[in-house]
Amino acid sequence: MLLCAVAVQVVAAEDDVLAPPHALYPAPKFTLRWINPGETGGLAADGSYDNNQGQLGVLNAAGAVTATGHPFFAPLGTNGRACVSCHQPQDAMSLSLDSIRRQWQVTQGQDPIFAAVDGANCPHLPQQDPASHSLLLDRGLFRVFLPWPPRDAAGKAIEPEFGIEVVRDPTGCNLHAQYGLHSAQPMVSVYRRPRPAANLKYPTHQNFGVSSFIGKNGLPTARDPQTGKPTSMNLMADARPPSLRAQAADAAATHLQRIAPLSKAQLDAIVAFEGQVYVAQQIDRHAGSLIEANGPTAFGPRALLKGEAGVLGNNTSRWVFPMEGKWTTLPRGASAAQDARNAGRESIARGHDVFMFRTFWIRDSMHLNSVGLGNPTKRTCATCHGMHMTGMDTANGWMDIGSTNLPWAREAPLNPWTTQKPELPLFKLTCRNDIAPHPFLGRVIYTQDPGRALISGRCNDIGTIVMQQLRGLSARAPYFSNGSAHSLRDVVDFYDRRYNIGYSEQEKQDLANFLGAL
Amino acid sequence: MSLQRSITLSLACVSGGAVAAMPDSVQRNFVACPIVRDTASVPCWLAEYEGELYFLTLQTDVSAPVNPPMLGHKVLVEGRRTDKPRICGGIVLEPVRLSVLPALDANCNQLLPAEAQYNLTFEPPRPPGPSKGRLAFNTLDVQQAEVAPQRVEKHFSIGYDFEGRVGFKHPALLQPVLDYALAIKATSINIEGHRGAALLSDGTILNESPKLAQQRAQQVAELLQGAGLIGPRYTVRWIDAAPAPNGSDDSAQRRVDITIKP
Ligand code: HEC
Ligand code: HEC
Repeated sequence: MLLCAVAVQVVAAEDDVLAPPHALYPAPKFTLRWINPGETGGLAADGSYDNNQGQLGVLNAAGAVTATGHPFFAPLGTNGRACVSCHQPQDAMSLSLDSIRRQWQVTQGQDPIFAAVDGANCPHLPQQDPASHSLLLDRGLFRVFLPWPPRDAAGKAIEPEFGIEVVRDPTGCNLHAQYGLHSAQPMVSVYRRPRPAANLKYPTHQNFGVSSFIGKNGLPTARDPQTGKPTSMNLMADARPPSLRAQAADAAATHLQRIAPLSKAQLDAIVAFEGQVYVAQQIDRHAGSLIEANGPTAFGPRALLKGEAGVLGNNTSRWVFPMEGKWTTLPRGASAAQDARNAGRESIARGHDVFMFRTFWIRDSMHLNSVGLGNPTKRTCATCHGMHMTGMDTANGWMDIGSTNLPWAREAPLNPWTTQKPELPLFKLTCRNDIAPHPFLGRVIYTQDPGRALISGRCNDIGTIVMQQLRGLSARAPYFSNGSAHSLRDVVDFYDRRYNIGYSEQEKQDLANFLGAL
Repeated sequence: MSLQRSITLSLACVSGGAVAAMPDSVQRNFVACPIVRDTASVPCWLAEYEGELYFLTLQTDVSAPVNPPMLGHKVLVEGRRTDKPRICGGIVLEPVRLSVLPALDANCNQLLPAEAQYNLTFEPPRPPGPSKGRLAFNTLDVQQAEVAPQRVEKHFSIGYDFEGRVGFKHPALLQPVLDYALAIKATSINIEGHRGAALLSDGTILNESPKLAQQRAQQVAELLQGAGLIGPRYTVRWIDAAPAPNGSDDSAQRRVDITIKP
């Protein structure tokens, strides 16, 4: 299965990977275009990139971008990587598993994305062996290593509410003498997907829900060290960076292995670039153009440029994804092609309604069922994914849907008849007796990634993950922070199992089509 | 409120409590598993006590005055029985306070399907899907005070659920404290933690954990400091003794009092 998919991709994309530099990418024929660190050339103001589901639009609102010498595109560290290595325009400013596998093939594993520091399961493993990069090659995951115990903003150790044990260490990193939990500088390694470095006015807004105290639990909100203002705490899987500047500085030190801090000019250029780049799907392979003049205003990168950031969606003025009731019933009979297109559009409109209005019982999900809605609560996808235009939570969007916590997280079945092995580490976290138990999971919690709890040290945060923006999804499979859903259909199936939703086959297809059009 | 006054108060309650040991006849205080009853719109939350079914609340949203409890936990119900038409088959308690008890209890797991006879006879405050126009989280949408307030001593009181610490309701309570202290450039802040007890309808007394008064007070101080209120001098105290409960306003003891001084 896997090998077959790789082979097909390579044939389709090889000439693009080796295409001559100096051109504005993408090439007009809308094919994939990998950008190497330090390449000359640039990004068009309006870029378009084909993907399996249609085509992604990448809009540079400030105009064409010269990549030459630009700190987002330049290898500023010691390992040859640039920010663009893992935030590729063709992949909605994230990095798809397809691209990762293709780069492995094309460069024989020499692309800097495979650098030992976090592009391998652990730095000590033999780097030529693809098995040492299995989490990146199978699930698109980079190693994120965080200090244990956690530190507060001033660098002081936080006394965690739980103890942590390594139950399973398939990568060898969490128990390693140099990199592990019991090393001289104790670290916890978790494995996560890159997030889209685009549409960033949404995850960093200063609008609704941002206040001095975290709306979910009343604790103090992290503040931007530059402005001193409370932040929306919506960046990365665990909201650890208080701002894009802090994020970029940290990314340079970790991902790029840069020794000296980035200069102010470099940080300015990175943050300015990130602040003006917008991504969203703009053509759907069934529904055709998503951005026609009279169509719904939810789609395409320009909609994100225009949209107001930090607004909680409702269903009168600011829908989460505004469809204006369009595409619900479209004519048939003009031509077979138009019938097919209209059927595709109707499916997207139905999928939107499933997302907004199809209720199910949301149960045992920390920071949703614990914030006054009751457990369970009869609500919809849009209850959690409520922010206008991106479907994030407006602020502090970390929740536990069971993507990394057992019993819901994807685990390899263990039995005498399979050779499947667990790929991800498993931790056992035991909450202290002098605090209240986790309301849904009790005192002992098994997890593949403690998520926000690795930053806050809080029992109730175990396995909570900040929701990603639901944009450019078709360009950046797999999904969830731990890459456990290989397709959008797989995401829908996860929810169907997790919350016992009982979607019909039609609802599942429509919902996946809708997500794919975002 | 000074330290002295609360001590006097609590002593008075202890002596009073020894005599009057039962809540009045309209009061319904009990611990039970909550029950969810689905309807054609939003679910109802109910609980049974002594063979009678009580309506606790509806699912609405975060900003609702009463929030539904949780399956998987028992709930402490402190409410007053009314003669209002039953909702979802339950006698309406109003006002009612609901505290989710921290211990997990897998026995609390009743989710009943909708039945035509239990449909709501009124429009619920918000549908199960997205709200029409009205936004949830309104309480968090904090307005900054525009005119500089007078620099006077001001008291605030922060309430808690039974056994509760700071949670999702508290940003709306803590924000005005923070805003006022910053606005008047407070020089000192006194924080006094309390814990309470609840007198149930059957005469049982439930006490909050012994250290809770201290933990509440210290946590409020940490939160205000963490939110940037580091100018004033903090005096943090707590009263460990829980006043004897009377079964009618026991929730008033579960609080932290804050005094901001210019
Ligand atoms: C080796 C791959 C890699 C490189 C190189 C890299 N990143 Fe990332 N980036 C990631 C991963 C993985 C995450 C998510 C981490 C997490 O969730 O904890 C991420 C997250 C982000 C986010 C957060 C987006 C969001 O919505 O939460 C931003 C912004 C970002 N990166 C910018 C940068 C910048 C700027 C650089 C260069 C200085 C950079 N990245 C280099 C892998 C990379
Ligand atoms: C209880 C809150 C909650 C509900 C309900 C919910 N989600 Fe999510 N969603 C999350 C969280 C939290 C994440 C991040 C989880 C992770 O990455 O591990 C997420 C992630 C996702 C992602 C992955 C995005 C990416 O970039 O990888 C998709 C797609 C998604 N949700 C779609 C849906 C759909 C469709 C529904 C309705 C069936 C739904 N969600 C219901 C909280 C929720």
